[in-house]
Amino acid sequence: MAAVTTTKQKRSIGQIIKRLLLLDLIEGLFLTFKYNVRALYEPREGGNPNQAIYTEQYPLERPRVSERFRGAPRLNLDPENGSTLCIACDLCALACPVDCIEVGSIRREVRDGEKVNKKKVLTTFIFDTSRCMFCNLCSEACPTDCLELTQSFELAVYHRSGFRWDREMLEKGINYVRYTK
Amino acid sequence: MPEILALLIAPDWVRSLTGERRPNDFWAEYIVWPLIQIVIVLFIVLTVVAYLVYLERKVSAFIQARLGPMRVGPWGLLQPAADGLKLLLKEDIIPIKADRLVFSIAPIISVVATLVVLAVIPWGAAWATIANVNIGLLFVLAVSSVSVLGLVLAGWSSNSKYSLLGALRSSAQMVSYEVGMGLSIIGALIFARTLSLSGIVEAQRADGLPYFLFQPLGFLIYLISALGETNRAPFDLPEAESELVAGYHTEYSGFRWALFFMAEYTAMLVTSAVAVTLFLGGWYFPGLDWIRSNWGQTVYVLLSVAAFAAKIGALIYAYMWFRWTWPRYRYDQLMELGWKWLIPAGLVNVVLTAIWYVLALPEAQGGVFGFVKQTAGRYVPTGAGKIYFILTGFIITIPLSWALLATINRRSRDFNLHDQRQLQIKLRSERIKRNEPVAE
Repeated sequence: MAAVTTTKQKRSIGQIIKRLLLLDLIEGLFLTFKYNVRALYEPREGGNPNQAIYTEQYPLERPRVSERFRGAPRLNLDPENGSTLCIACDLCALACPVDCIEVGSIRREVRDGEKVNKKKVLTTFIFDTSRCMFCNLCSEACPTDCLELTQSFELAVYHRSGFRWDREMLEKGINYVRYTK
Repeated sequence: MPEILALLIAPDWVRSLTGERRPNDFWAEYIVWPLIQIVIVLFIVLTVVAYLVYLERKVSAFIQARLGPMRVGPWGLLQPAADGLKLLLKEDIIPIKADRLVFSIAPIISVVATLVVLAVIPWGAAWATIANVNIGLLFVLAVSSVSVLGLVLAGWSSNSKYSLLGALRSSAQMVSYEVGMGLSIIGALIFARTLSLSGIVEAQRADGLPYFLFQPLGFLIYLISALGETNRAPFDLPEAESELVAGYHTEYSGFRWALFFMAEYTAMLVTSAVAVTLFLGGWYFPGLDWIRSNWGQTVYVLLSVAAFAAKIGALIYAYMWFRWTWPRYRYDQLMELGWKWLIPAGLVNVVLTAIWYVLALPEAQGGVFGFVKQTAGRYVPTGAGKIYFILTGFIITIPLSWALLATINRRSRDFNLHDQRQLQIKLRSERIKRNEPVAE
């Protein structure tokens, strides 16, 4: 049989000693043991990758989302008088690439002192979250900072009709079931 | 030995329960007290086995930066109870084409074979030992190997390819590793000079050192063989989820599956208990005699049980630790380790240990050094003898047996599939270079 040089015969003495003493196996054992010990004494902080335990117990602990996270839509109200900021300009509906926004408005005479202005007033606002892809284009188009995508992310509902958020839901937010310990 | 005979005597409250006097206390001695012991041991062991599953899940979770079971009870501590309830209430499915009788008997064989072994294990000093059988170790090896039959029957009767393959793998593996396991304990038996498990603990107490110091190679072989014997990772080929669906218990569900699971974890407990008894000094730890004379018999027995449990716990944690660290062996690697390394190493260890022991005997007994003195009916190593046995074990036996086996196994590398493939590739490339016809 011809002499064959394989990788096995090219080992240096250091590699042979490493194999003999099973150093790689022991190294692995030390790593897992370190994790195990750290898991026992370190204070737990869900979702922190530097912590020994990464798990966040979701319904009990709220995950932290970033400030730029785009979640459930909201129609902001004027903080002074509580009326809506929306001027029914329809720019958001035009900006929406998937046409999930429907703005309903009427023209109404609004008395401002002695002048009588004819003004567009918002009546209904339908936001279909099942079609929304959370691209934030509507929010960027909004001239009055009324429509905004918030950091709330729990959008699951039991029926398809629940995905159509009306003006009241958009202004007040939906009632979530809060799970506690 | 009066100390060992005293282990079996029932305490006085049992005798007063049956209203018998001491010489004629048949019921108290042979029926009532053993039954109480059996119930206590079975209850404790089965609870512990249930919590071993919990422990395994927690250890794996912590190693993998997870939390593990958290929802049932505080820190998920009631999870075993919930699991047991779920398994009891699950539908018991028997495949139509399965052999119904064998299918239902197989898990029972498996679990009974492992539970019977619990009878002879010395859980602690004095009344904490149930049966002190003078061939205890032989009994353990004989009975625990019956559980292979359960696995084989389960795999065959399921009438499923996955089950059959898993059963074949597990039977081959368990039979192979059983041999290495049997050889590894002989070294310790040379020092103990008895097969009774309580006697082995007493021998280590008399020698003053646990036998893993005298028998490092034997202990190592035993640990590895025990991993293979209980089908634990890195030798968990019978249940390799990624290759066979679940191994021999693929078709099992509900409580029958739970029996297999119980058998697996009880086997883990039993092999750890035997390892503790043989190599780690059993229930004895230094200072136990002082406790007995100062704090009384009850504290002494309870502490001995606690020491035994702590040692078993350490070994079982090591098993889990190995499982969640190391990858699985390939099948030929497993067989190579078993047959080409562990079994010859066991044989070498037996021969070398016997040589060291004979050399250490006094000259009147045919030895040379006289490191072993006969005191109180048995041979006890002197202080120099202890150092001699530890040094020979660590410095001569392990390197010598490794060098011997490496030399022998080096020759058999020619049959290594990898090398053969490399040779074929090389010959083929040479032929192509010489423009000779190459078979496709």
